[in-house]
Amino acid sequence: MPLLNVKNLTVGYNTKHGSLKAVDGVNFTLEEGESLGFVGESGCGKTTMGMALMGLLPPNGSVREGQIIFEDKDLLEMSPEQIRRVRWRKIAMIFQAAMNALNPVQRVGGQVAEAMLVHDDSLGEEEAMVKVEELFDLVGIPRDRMIDYPHQYSGGMKQRAVIAMALACQPKLIIADEPTTALDVIVQDQILEEMKQLQKEFNLSIIFISHDISIVADMCHDIGVMYAGQLVEYGPREAVFESPVHPYTKALLSSFPTLTGEKTDLVPIPGETPNLVTPPAGCRFCDRCTQPGTTCKTEPPEWVAISGEHKALCCRC
Amino acid sequence: MNPKSNQIVRIEDVRKVYKAKGSFFGARKKDVVALDGVSLTIPRGEIFGLVGESGSGKTTLGRLLIGLEETNSGKLFLDEEEVTHLRGKELKRFRRKVQMIFQDPYQSLNPQRSVFDTVSEPLKIHKLGLGSDKYEKVRQALQAVGLAPPDDYLHRYPHRLSGGQRQRVAIARAMILNPEFVIADEPTSMLDASISAQIFNILLKMRTDFDVTMLFITHSLAAARYLCDRIAVIYRGNLMEIGPGEEVIGNPMHPYTKALLDAIPKFGQKEVMKRYGTLLSREREDANGSGCAFFSRCKVADEGQCSMTKPVLNERSKGHLAACFF
Amino acid sequence: MTNAEQKMRVKAPARFPWFESFLEGWSIFKQNLLGKIGLSLLVMFALMAICSYIPPLINPMYNPMTGVDPDILGCTGPSWKHWLGTDFMGRDILSQLLAGARVAFMVGVSAAVMSVALGTAVGMTAGYMGKFADTVLMRLADMIMVMPTLLVVLLLAAVFGQLNIWTIVLIIALFRWPGVSRIIRGQTLTLKQRPFVEAAKVAGASHMRIIFRHIMPNVLPLAFLFMTFRVTSAIITEAALAFLGFGDPGTVSWGMMLQWVWKTGNMFQAPYWLLPPGICISLITLSFYMLGRAMDEVLDPRLRKEDQTD
Repeated sequence: MPLLNVKNLTVGYNTKHGSLKAVDGVNFTLEEGESLGFVGESGCGKTTMGMALMGLLPPNGSVREGQIIFEDKDLLEMSPEQIRRVRWRKIAMIFQAAMNALNPVQRVGGQVAEAMLVHDDSLGEEEAMVKVEELFDLVGIPRDRMIDYPHQYSGGMKQRAVIAMALACQPKLIIADEPTTALDVIVQDQILEEMKQLQKEFNLSIIFISHDISIVADMCHDIGVMYAGQLVEYGPREAVFESPVHPYTKALLSSFPTLTGEKTDLVPIPGETPNLVTPPAGCRFCDRCTQPGTTCKTEPPEWVAISGEHKALCCRC
Repeated sequence: MNPKSNQIVRIEDVRKVYKAKGSFFGARKKDVVALDGVSLTIPRGEIFGLVGESGSGKTTLGRLLIGLEETNSGKLFLDEEEVTHLRGKELKRFRRKVQMIFQDPYQSLNPQRSVFDTVSEPLKIHKLGLGSDKYEKVRQALQAVGLAPPDDYLHRYPHRLSGGQRQRVAIARAMILNPEFVIADEPTSMLDASISAQIFNILLKMRTDFDVTMLFITHSLAAARYLCDRIAVIYRGNLMEIGPGEEVIGNPMHPYTKALLDAIPKFGQKEVMKRYGTLLSREREDANGSGCAFFSRCKVADEGQCSMTKPVLNERSKGHLAACFF
Repeated sequence: MTNAEQKMRVKAPARFPWFESFLEGWSIFKQNLLGKIGLSLLVMFALMAICSYIPPLINPMYNPMTGVDPDILGCTGPSWKHWLGTDFMGRDILSQLLAGARVAFMVGVSAAVMSVALGTAVGMTAGYMGKFADTVLMRLADMIMVMPTLLVVLLLAAVFGQLNIWTIVLIIALFRWPGVSRIIRGQTLTLKQRPFVEAAKVAGASHMRIIFRHIMPNVLPLAFLFMTFRVTSAIITEAALAFLGFGDPGTVSWGMMLQWVWKTGNMFQAPYWLLPPGICISLITLSFYMLGRAMDEVLDPRLRKEDQTD
């Protein structure tokens, strides 16, 4: 039984330009102890999906359709009180630029403790601080820095503090949305290594969201590629990386400069992402596709199984 | 080394210090040394990459070169003329020759001015092109950066443009005066990968179409490899390594460069990359001010030599230098 | 223009960003109750001000300053001939009230425009130039801000005798610009750092060009906002001065009316004379304030939106 089973998730926003579906019919499962990565560029819906999983959509957003089945219970059917108990205790999130979300006027140790106290009524303050010390050891922050304020921390340390907060209640699933984007390459590498270790140690499941496909591939066993609100390719990282099928995945991979191998021309993707208020009738990538088929413009594409778990949403594949 | 007549930019032992404002009550914070004696030359027609992390001083160097800030010591030369402290008419003449493309496309265009206003402004400032001439020049610039048909874009305002389009406008603005030297300060760090790729290709095209020399400031070695002929790696205000792009990446000489290469996620690289392991997992406690900037994190450092003396750039192979004792 | 040149030119669209933002702002404004009330009240007062020209045209006896009803010698209550009654000299109160509205707008708006113009100029200069100029200008602003306007005007009136209404306007403006300049200076400092200003510098723009083409357009919305608040204080200041007897005796303003009521000892005897100007002063002040608050809401989210990245 998978830890998380998302079925046909559709999330919409009401904006002044109209109503749009930021996430449209996404399906995936996640087993315990595994990691799944979502890759896509801005506007593809990956962050919205992460927020929907946590139940943290902004006021103008709502889940239109679908089910989020976590540990056999549909999160969307739960009452706010039940969700509150699940959130942070079972599912924790590391937001984009989370290090800026630390309260500048509160000591970091106290903030991490608060994360625990808020979600566990039985915990006392002293107990919480002891646990904070253990967490800091875990994430690699020296204990004597607990009483410092966020501005005294470096970027990497702040991010570690945020990870500590996410781990505070020992969740089963962590959703990490671009956790290392604001960090330098060396610090990023260290944090990612630490996250991998923590995952092994606690048998955590991780959903890793990023625009950088190599980070995602480094961290996760499986990858989902998102475009314009839809999942367009899904499979084990080796398969998606080495033999991408969907034209968007191929194009995305060839738009990242590499350090090794022949210096081939970067092939940018022409055009712009489609307007999601009035999405195209057929394949959403059609306008920018290098090999469109005859029906791609008018008929929505279907999922095609490539091999094993590897599948793509494409008419021509 | 390189024949002098070919140099378009020469930076000589430049130092830049940001003085900490002492607060009345608190202890005096230390001055931040952004650049600590940096020297380099860029020959005509080259795309030179300056790679560094945050706090390395790469942006500061760009700002010094463009004249937005002044050096504390050292000299800057453009076409063998000293341009370190320029004023008045000379400064204006300089501005025609050197331009900059800024990092944030969402902030580098005035929201109250149309694309035409923004791109034609340099022409107006330097009184080039009359009336209808300006329209034609702007059209050509927009065409060159791929905003076609230009007439569609002339009267649009920034909020109607995507990030990639805005950056193209910024490039058009920088190129419209046909400058000799352009500094691109992390022009793609705020853009998606596929859009970044478009911008990279436009920059390459600019080099061939306009015969311009470029300084490309970035934190990404991969981007530098793609775009640049030569790469310099900078760390905490000091140049650690300079050399031809492929050389620096394929055969790095400095422990810091090696650490950077180690840290880049390997998945997706076409070949298996060597792991150098030159980074200490925890910083050394005993590092003092003098000596090599990378000492406190360097695994292969020698406690005696590296902590006391700052190594200078020494040549390892043709055109490939590293500032390291090993 | 030759044919070729004509073809070269492209017609600019009718809309500019500030026009579009205006429409957008209007739709936000429309939803604000306070703003709507404020605006309606102001429209009412504006109509009053416009109508103030009418009574004297109907009959010279309705002239607020000099009109005298041959049949009436003193204070009378409301009647068919004089809807609000007459004052101690037999002049029609309603026409005085309408004239007062005109004066209130004149004084309020002129003083506000002048003080904001001055404050913006000083604030931009101080913010842009920094260092010495900044210190000097801001210290000057501080000194003026600390001075009590009313007291100084009273002193001046005592020394120079009765003051002309425009002198009063000028003095109010001269005392009110410091507050504006502080905020504009802050905004200028922020804008100075923005990449598009740096880009202009890099292109070789002169300081003048940067100030007028890049900083000023982005500072004006804030300045306009300030004007609404300034109008309020200007009107009250003028009313206070007039009430205390230091206004322009040749001008009929609401403050002047109150002074007459008081001086002639009719405060409790003639409520029809006392109440209208008092209520008008309160209401116009309130309505400008409400307008300002609503505009604040309009401008604030927009300012925030401009700063956000996609």
